[in-house]
Amino acid sequence: MAVPLLEPALLRRLEALALQVRRAVSGQMGGERRSRRRGQSVEFADFRSYTPGDDYRLIDWNAYARLDRFMLRLFVAEEELPLSIFVDLSGSMDWGTPNKAETARRLAGAIAYVALSALDRVRLTVFAEGPTSGGAPYRGRRAAGELFARLQSFPVGGPTNYARLVWPIGRQRPGMTVIISDALGEPGIDEALSAVQRAHQEGAVLQLLAPQEMTPDWAGDARLKDAESGAEREFTATPLTQAAYVRALTQRSEDVERLAHRRGLRYARLSTAQPIDQMVQLTLRQIGLLG
Amino acid sequence: MSLLAPAAAVLGVTLPVIVALYFLKIRRPTRIVPALHLWPNQIRDRQANVPWQRLRPSWLLLLQLLAAAFLVAAALQPALPAGAALARHTLILVDSSASMQATDVKPSRLAEAKRQAAALIDQLGPQDRMTLIGVGPSARVLASVTGDHDTLHHALDALAVSNGAADLSSALALAAGLVRPGDDAKAYLFSDGIIEPLRASLSTGLPFALEYHRVGISGENVGLTSLTVRTSAQSRAAYLHLQNFGQQSHPVSLEWRADGRLLDLRPLTLAAGQGQDLVLPIPGDATAVTARLAGSDLFALDDVATAVARTPRAFRVLLVTPGNVFLEQALRLRSDLQVDVVAPAAYRASAAYAMTIFDRFTPAAMPDGPTLIVDPPAGSSVAGGAAIGIGRVRAADAADPLLANVDLQDVHIARSQDLRTSAFGRPLITSLQTPLVMVRDEPVRQALFGFDIHESDLPLRIAFPILVENLSEWMLPPSVPSRSFHPDEPVTVVPDAGATAVSVIRPDGSRRALTAGSISTFADTDPAGLYTVEQTIGGKVQPSWFTVNLFTDSISQLKPPDRLTLPPTRPTAVQATHPGQLEIWPWIALAALGIIAAEWLAFHRGL
Repeated sequence: MAVPLLEPALLRRLEALALQVRRAVSGQMGGERRSRRRGQSVEFADFRSYTPGDDYRLIDWNAYARLDRFMLRLFVAEEELPLSIFVDLSGSMDWGTPNKAETARRLAGAIAYVALSALDRVRLTVFAEGPTSGGAPYRGRRAAGELFARLQSFPVGGPTNYARLVWPIGRQRPGMTVIISDALGEPGIDEALSAVQRAHQEGAVLQLLAPQEMTPDWAGDARLKDAESGAEREFTATPLTQAAYVRALTQRSEDVERLAHRRGLRYARLSTAQPIDQMVQLTLRQIGLLG
Repeated sequence: MSLLAPAAAVLGVTLPVIVALYFLKIRRPTRIVPALHLWPNQIRDRQANVPWQRLRPSWLLLLQLLAAAFLVAAALQPALPAGAALARHTLILVDSSASMQATDVKPSRLAEAKRQAAALIDQLGPQDRMTLIGVGPSARVLASVTGDHDTLHHALDALAVSNGAADLSSALALAAGLVRPGDDAKAYLFSDGIIEPLRASLSTGLPFALEYHRVGISGENVGLTSLTVRTSAQSRAAYLHLQNFGQQSHPVSLEWRADGRLLDLRPLTLAAGQGQDLVLPIPGDATAVTARLAGSDLFALDDVATAVARTPRAFRVLLVTPGNVFLEQALRLRSDLQVDVVAPAAYRASAAYAMTIFDRFTPAAMPDGPTLIVDPPAGSSVAGGAAIGIGRVRAADAADPLLANVDLQDVHIARSQDLRTSAFGRPLITSLQTPLVMVRDEPVRQALFGFDIHESDLPLRIAFPILVENLSEWMLPPSVPSRSFHPDEPVTVVPDAGATAVSVIRPDGSRRALTAGSISTFADTDPAGLYTVEQTIGGKVQPSWFTVNLFTDSISQLKPPDRLTLPPTRPTAVQATHPGQLEIWPWIALAALGIIAAEWLAFHRGL
């Protein structure tokens, strides 16, 4: 029997969360998000004069009594939030304990479930050398099972090519984009982040790393093999070379964080050693992605 | 350049081994990493990946090969030709006498001599042998016929300076004994040339060539050359002579102390070559008096002089004579004799007297102690035959210590008893006609004059008081002489009767025990200063003193002679020298260490 992507207890806790958007969104269907359009909700937005054809149910009769004019009460429309989740399933993600790809699936599933619970529309895309669509947008909590199954069905492997994310990102309507990746591929992730900004997307970059790559736990002679390209190199690890590697990794993470902030995106560096619960309820809340 | 250990060339095999290690394949575990580009790029391989691949240039390999090459080179012990021409057997004589303490060359003449000798040791080749001899008051072999550099250096380092004179004759005789006939030998003398006169026996030549290396340059020195204490009936005074041996005027400050108490301090200025006598009254209760030149000069040993101030224990002596002022005065010259004079009629035998002199009288029974008998009357048991005229007077044995400094050239004797048939003892002074003075050791020390000294001009000669002093000291030797000795001069200690323990306390406070029951020779007198001899007699400790001072002008003079006359080299001596060697392997080993450190650094820097 297949192991469920997320435990029911975790799902129940996720239902209490919601995606945090900084500005109003415009979706195609009603949802629980503030929309730039005035609509039907309980939150008052403005008054305007009645013109024929308006919904007479919105006339403020108290204002009519005072002003002797038909005034319409306008309310903030609540619409769905288009959420796009891009999950890196390249070769470099199939590494570490716990495995980065598995953790990425679970994290994407958790964020998607939060969105589905709030009637937001979720579009799933996995990528390695190129993007692979996760099917038609999912909406509603009932779609979660299908989304989870789809997430688990994608294989892991191949090189990372962030440049090929530019097109699927750019064709999205304004909404929220979350990229889950180790952000280690070459060339860098900046092109994709730039596309997010151009598409007027709010979003976040969640850099997922395994503890073994943050602090290498080995020394001595080895033949290093790149998980994606298969390139090999003789290497003798000494305390000095290990320190140089850690410095390079830290530098890469800081670069990604700097680029993300420059594009108006949130950033979090996550370790696969962290439980999903902790990532979602603590880290993603801290960066303002969930609330 | 020559190699002292050519067999070490075998170690050269390490170089190809190091290269081979680079060829050898090592098993590296494959590690998959998410991003290879984040790992530092180590440009070259530390080891090969496949057997017999092409050797790639590598700093590490180069440094390792260099280090191995340097280590192998050091193991070969290469040596460069050095300046000195060494023989197969090199003898090094290092002067360690008193004058080598001079500091005209820094830090001292001995240190400089050792430095020069050490340089010779360093040049010793693997086939060469070396002998080290210390030239002090006695010659001492420090290291005998060895090629081991460490042994030689340790022996040289252990050589300490002494306060005595340099006995080069003994050292050369010792060196000659260590050279076998036909040996290729050469000797080097490192000295300031201030040595005791060479013995005539060395004039036959040495079996090796001798090269003199002078150490020292200056003779600027002010020293104390004598200090004595004289006691008269009224007072006691110390007499000091100090001398400027240099070519320049020197201001000095002279300090007098009696048993450590300051008596006087006075500044003096001595012109070049000037000597000065000083007299200082000293307290009656002082045991020793010390004069010290304050301030520093090139030679400290002669800046202090010590003399015993206390009158030695006196012997009571009885002179039985009808009247003999010559004999009486001669006896009184010795300060430790207390002379009582009695007429023959008043003579009573007494054990209180250590010695008795009978002049023209003999008692019925001779006393037990030492006796000097002058012209015994006829009928005495020791009297000789009828008087006979005497011609020329001469010594029976000119080398007899009892006649030391006794000049009999101008001595005339009118007549003497005929002692030719006397069984008294051995003759000391004799003539063609008869022995004139006889001495014997058994049963007690006794001397017999066969003539009345009034019938000779002997009492008018300087020889008389000397002869009386010699005889009295022979018969009554002081248990401990209170005079000054030279450093390393042996001191004879005759324990008093009844002494159960005898010991000598040296100036540094160390105590040396002597045998109580017999005459001892104490030779541990290198340090200058006051020595105390303690005798335990009847449970009481009786101290007496003597001093050791340099008091040798030839040493205090300090100026190294320009030329030193050395014994000639025998024509048969082998003289086949070869250049010495200077070993350079320590420098090469040091360079190898530096390269290994660089290799370690390169490895950890990931070069």
